[in-house]
Amino acid sequence: MKALTANRLIDGEVVFWRAGQWVERFADADLFDANDPAAEEAATAGKAQPTVVVDAYLIDVDQGPAGPAPVSYRERIRALGPTNEPDHGKQAEGGDAIAALQAATGAARSTGRVDLIRRK
Amino acid sequence: MYLYDAIDKDFLADRAAEFRGQVARRLAGELTEDQFKPLRLMNGLYLQLHAYMLRVAVPYGSLNPTQLRAFAHIARTWDKGYGHFTTRQNIQFNWVKLGDAPDILDHLAGVDMHAIQTSGNCIRNVTSDPYAGATAQEVDDPRVWSEVIRQWSTLHPEFSFLPRKFKIAVTAAETDRTAARAHDIGLKVQRGPDGDLGFEVMVGGGQGRTPYLAPTIRAHLPASRLISYLEAILRVYNRHGRRDNIYKARIKILVASLGAEEFARQVEEEWLKIAEGADLPDTELARIRGSFAPLDFAILPPRSDVFEAAKASDKAFARFVRNNIKAHKQPGYGIVEISLKAPGATPGDASAEQMEAVADLAERFGLSDIRATHEQNLVLPHVKLDDAPAVHAALAAVGLATPNINLISDIIACPGLDYCALANARAIPVAQSIAERFADPDRAETIGELKVKISGCINACGHHHVGHIGILGVDKKGEEFYQLSLGGSGAEDASLASILGPALPADKVADAVDRMVEAYLAIRQDGERFLDTFRRAGMTPFKEAVYVDAH
Repeated sequence: MKALTANRLIDGEVVFWRAGQWVERFADADLFDANDPAAEEAATAGKAQPTVVVDAYLIDVDQGPAGPAPVSYRERIRALGPTNEPDHGKQAEGGDAIAALQAATGAARSTGRVDLIRRK
Repeated sequence: MYLYDAIDKDFLADRAAEFRGQVARRLAGELTEDQFKPLRLMNGLYLQLHAYMLRVAVPYGSLNPTQLRAFAHIARTWDKGYGHFTTRQNIQFNWVKLGDAPDILDHLAGVDMHAIQTSGNCIRNVTSDPYAGATAQEVDDPRVWSEVIRQWSTLHPEFSFLPRKFKIAVTAAETDRTAARAHDIGLKVQRGPDGDLGFEVMVGGGQGRTPYLAPTIRAHLPASRLISYLEAILRVYNRHGRRDNIYKARIKILVASLGAEEFARQVEEEWLKIAEGADLPDTELARIRGSFAPLDFAILPPRSDVFEAAKASDKAFARFVRNNIKAHKQPGYGIVEISLKAPGATPGDASAEQMEAVADLAERFGLSDIRATHEQNLVLPHVKLDDAPAVHAALAAVGLATPNINLISDIIACPGLDYCALANARAIPVAQSIAERFADPDRAETIGELKVKISGCINACGHHHVGHIGILGVDKKGEEFYQLSLGGSGAEDASLASILGPALPADKVADAVDRMVEAYLAIRQDGERFLDTFRRAGMTPFKEAVYVDAH
């Protein structure tokens, strides 16, 4: 799956594309199938709003244990807020949608795999 | 400290008004993002992961209470109630809105501050010794020369579009608290063979993906020739520094490729073309020096009965004295370091309330002088020993009495992937996990001086190349991993750290540091710091300790 994200020009807030509008919560974002041409169409439409957002781009989304979540750790941090300040950013709102993002693991979460530690 | 005159004040007001107009034109669509981005960066405004970030210059780390209170006001009014002191003695606000930025610049201008040249390929804020004017070690006040360089380099038309950013450090003491050799130019104020004031000039240091320590290109430059010589260095760099490859554009690459001798020869050749008239007139130097006139210190005995009694009766104060209060040149005074590294805290962060408390203490007990250090702490450079117990108690009341300066939990960390658009991995949680592991103050003191420095990407804002233990966050197939290195130093015994071995996952880093510390404690000899033991014993015992389970 894919979602379209950007930072809002006026305040830098992380926003997501939903039906031609920009919304603040990842849970409200339109999710496109990987090969759906609507994703690229949304990106084109989003980039055509340069007085509303900065740097619109598509991100990869996968099904997590409690719902869809961005694949990369960086994008999950954008969708939640900084991990050192749980009361700052979107995560402060709490609720199931935030919990679903926080439950997601995957590409960029450290797993502590000791088998990668080898002496050179 | 240096005071702005009417021309300076008018300029800052004009500059803030100009930026207000640029923001309005951007919001109205009259400027594209590509046109606007360089304009906002010239005013220190970056777009990061969650919001805009404003980096405000703290000239050579020197602040007065009014300015620190202005930071507190900005934090409370336009941010989330805190600011982040950086590894370049600046402050960053992480949650700034573009629409508010002009108001913030106005507020800063009102206290003679700005965010100019905190970004871009220009000469950045000068780094200097946070103990300037307070330590008996210095041969001259490095702030005088830092201010000379600030005035010369601010909006210098010839050096506003260099191949890459440019950082200068000025130190005047045997103990280097500026990481001078890790700068594009490091200047050490010294007395020459004839007793004349001058500089050892080091050029071509830097961190990032290709770290170098700056070689000395001139053993002794007469102080009166500083500006013309800097101009010669910058001209050689401006002419020959690479503009085709951002990774090879810093002066360190030019110096390394030419060799220090050939680079020095070209500088000397260029210098001959610049007349002495390019140097600062003595009258102007005297005017600037006048802004740093000796303070009105009280005449006190070196021993304070109040101080000694508190030390004897209050173990927490005694520990604070051992680690955070440093020798002052004036009898009866001390330099008080304020750690922004409480266990669990984000290194370098200070709340609005904490900033106001420090501003109050500076006014009541510190001759209204405050410093920011490149190690992300604050300093009250002039505190009477008689007042130290009261200062300690007031700091403790706002969570600022952590007695860990230069100890293992006094960690440098960049904002990392929690905030920074460039980062590959987080730095703050790793710092927190190590600080918590070593939260026992007795153990931390037993370990002694140990500088841990963490960067969330190869740009090395967290100075990992010069950490006794350096930690670099890397993205390994999409996962956060951390590469450990040992043996770096940004101090007068400068050295670059060497990589320990394969990178570790985040939850193994504190364990690895713990094991290396135990290995050090097992083999250290009399008085050795971790760094000394590493230099004597080499990498093997530490490698054995960390990778013992790999078989």
